[in-house]
Amino acid sequence: MNAMVELGPEDSGCRSAPPVLTVQVEKDMEALVQRFLARKRGDLDRLRGALATDDFETMRRIGHDLKGSGEAFGFPELSGFGAEIERAATSSNGHALREQLTAVEQFLSHLRVTFR
Amino acid sequence: MDPVTLKNPEAKPSAPVQPVAPAPATSMRVALVEDDLSQAELLSHWLELAGHRCHQFDRGEELIRALDQESFDVVVLDWNLPDMSGVDVLKRIRSSRQASVPIVFVTARNREDDVVTALRQGADDYMVKPVRRLELLARLETLARRGKHRVEQPEVLEVGVYRVDTQTRTVTRNERAVDLTAKDFDLSVLFLRNIGRLLSRGHIRESVWGPNAVVTSRTLDTHVSRIRNKLGLTPEHGWRLAAVYRYGYRLEQLDGPQPRPTQPVV
Repeated sequence: MNAMVELGPEDSGCRSAPPVLTVQVEKDMEALVQRFLARKRGDLDRLRGALATDDFETMRRIGHDLKGSGEAFGFPELSGFGAEIERAATSSNGHALREQLTAVEQFLSHLRVTFR
Repeated sequence: MDPVTLKNPEAKPSAPVQPVAPAPATSMRVALVEDDLSQAELLSHWLELAGHRCHQFDRGEELIRALDQESFDVVVLDWNLPDMSGVDVLKRIRSSRQASVPIVFVTARNREDDVVTALRQGADDYMVKPVRRLELLARLETLARRGKHRVEQPEVLEVGVYRVDTQTRTVTRNERAVDLTAKDFDLSVLFLRNIGRLLSRGHIRESVWGPNAVVTSRTLDTHVSRIRNKLGLTPEHGWRLAAVYRYGYRLEQLDGPQPRPTQPVV
């Protein structure tokens, strides 16, 4: 999939605004990408729940799926987060998992997808 | 900052995407075993855009059950499934009536020993996620080309006394044209391209009538019977177009013409 990624201020007139990551995806992928991102937002809730109960196996599975699918949808960063989550969950590293959870939350909240 | 706007994100998937450039001659019937819904949708989308027909299964057992009645040109298999591992699915396929179907692992497991295990257990190829669209399609087409079922089909096929020209849509037997309807022609081509291969009724129906056609078993049987007679696909001519109970048909080329069965003396 061809995706254009651009990182910069959301509004050029407001330099203090947090950066926005813009990803451009082909129009025919719009529905698929929207469903994918919605599911990944849902996975964040599952991750939080699993983290609260030290359910490392659930976290490992979520990380594994994210690792396998993020880049294919045009978001290689998500694949990277997924790999880190899987690794941290495999070694039961709660601290690293919290860091990765925060990183994914930030990524998704700063993400803007446009379709061409 | 505005978050990404999601328009009805939990909406049902849209209708299957029409292939950009339908290519029936290169169309494969693909079984996709993948429990990650997003991944399954994406791979299915890619396959359908390329003109292939994709059947999704999110459990290994679902595919195993389907193989009792269905045949596929290739199986795309994830390793981590909710009910069993992909390797277990692979072993079950290899002991089924579809034992020779090409199988490609598509998994996020990237350890060398995983790759080796899958290949040694009989996988034909192994791809590590995230996969790339064109590479996936190329690998699947390569596998199908290597198998008995050639995906990229020549325009003229010559098998024994039969000559099939897919350009003019004609079949000759011993250099004499055989009068066939359009569907009978498609059915003849399907069998002659898949000699020795057991094809399920669903596979035949989808290949000849299309994925959305409603075709009764009786209609299918009638067409098969007709091409059996018109093409002489019978033991006395060195062929057998055999029905497999509750499954489908297989065209077999016999060692030579077989004697016509004698009528029982009453």
